[in-house]
Amino acid sequence: MGSGTVSTFQIWKLTFSTANVLSGLVVFILAFAVIFFTSRHVSMRPSKGQNFLEWLIDFTNGILKGSIPAKEVSGFGLWGFTLFLFLFLSNQLGLFFNVAINGSAIVRSPTSDPIVTLTMSMMTVVLANYAGLKKWGTKGYLASFVKPSPMFLASNLFEQVSSFLTLGLRIFGIIFSGEVLLEMVWSLAELKGIPTLIAAVPIEMAWQGLSVFLGSIQAYVFLTLSSVYIGRQLEGE
Amino acid sequence: MLSHLVIDATLYNGDSIFYVVTFLLLMWLVKIFAWGPITKMMQQRSDKISDDIDHAEKSRAEAADLADQRQEALKGSRVEAQQIVSTAKSDGQEQRGQIINKAEADAQALKAKAKDDIAQEREAALVGARNDVADLSIEIASKLIQRELNASDQKELIDSYIEGLGKPHES
Repeated sequence: MGSGTVSTFQIWKLTFSTANVLSGLVVFILAFAVIFFTSRHVSMRPSKGQNFLEWLIDFTNGILKGSIPAKEVSGFGLWGFTLFLFLFLSNQLGLFFNVAINGSAIVRSPTSDPIVTLTMSMMTVVLANYAGLKKWGTKGYLASFVKPSPMFLASNLFEQVSSFLTLGLRIFGIIFSGEVLLEMVWSLAELKGIPTLIAAVPIEMAWQGLSVFLGSIQAYVFLTLSSVYIGRQLEGE
Repeated sequence: MLSHLVIDATLYNGDSIFYVVTFLLLMWLVKIFAWGPITKMMQQRSDKISDDIDHAEKSRAEAADLADQRQEALKGSRVEAQQIVSTAKSDGQEQRGQIINKAEADAQALKAKAKDDIAQEREAALVGARNDVADLSIEIASKLIQRELNASDQKELIDSYIEGLGKPHES
């Protein structure tokens, strides 16, 4: 993916990457399709789709309950569910749809671009700090940066920045490397025609399988760490 | 690798805004189409389940109450049945005694009456016989008187007659 030029376009003074915008839209549509078609005919006795959706909601709620105090967890349920769904689909998208035109990717995993993952982690950090601010008030929130003593101000601030960076770059690293390796295996397949193609296909499939696993794990890890950051802000002390 | 990254991933500031907007929009749609109805339904279901559990508890208690009542009623009816049987028995005993007593009394009365009847009849027969004898003697006497008799025959006749008359009187 690194070889080609990146196609971009500009609106006002903002630069957009075509690949990110298109991939984001694809993920958006897929996510909407998933929740739309599984939530038809909601009833007391759940159908297949509703069952799946309820299972997913229970799953993300379970992750949140692990770190956020029980009283406040309900306010983050929707956010956690959407985040997990969005990241999961983003991580898997590039494994199955990797469209490139003239060597520049058009559709791939949005999470293989650091700007996307850092945007997500920035949202988490902002949400966590907002939750802390709302719970403890301005004074209590600011006081939390000089705990246990003013000497810790620098490390507390650095912790915020490092949370933001590690959260965003971890998922980016895994997904990006996964896609790079997929492309490398594919270029190996094209190297010498049919014999290398036959050799490469099992490797490609195995790596795809592992990447599905890694992508799921990363979506899970992202949500878990996000809820840890929020939980830390809410616990205060 | 790092320099490659930096060159490749120049900051597309627009993407950041695009993803924030997309994510918030998706969150809103999820809330409208799935999160709202599903969590509401899950809440309703958990309410219903707890309701059902309470209800089951209540009806179990009711059933136990009913069973107790039935047991008690059964016990009561058994006692009643025993009472009925024993009353019937004593009634029967009493009745039997009455019947026997009455039968005995009747038999006694019948016997006494039969004895009286017999005595009366004998009396009546005796009276009849005496009358007959008187009539007969008068008839015989009149016949004898009309015939000519010698003294010895007459005497013999009267003697035998008197003898015959005396016997029934003695008995």
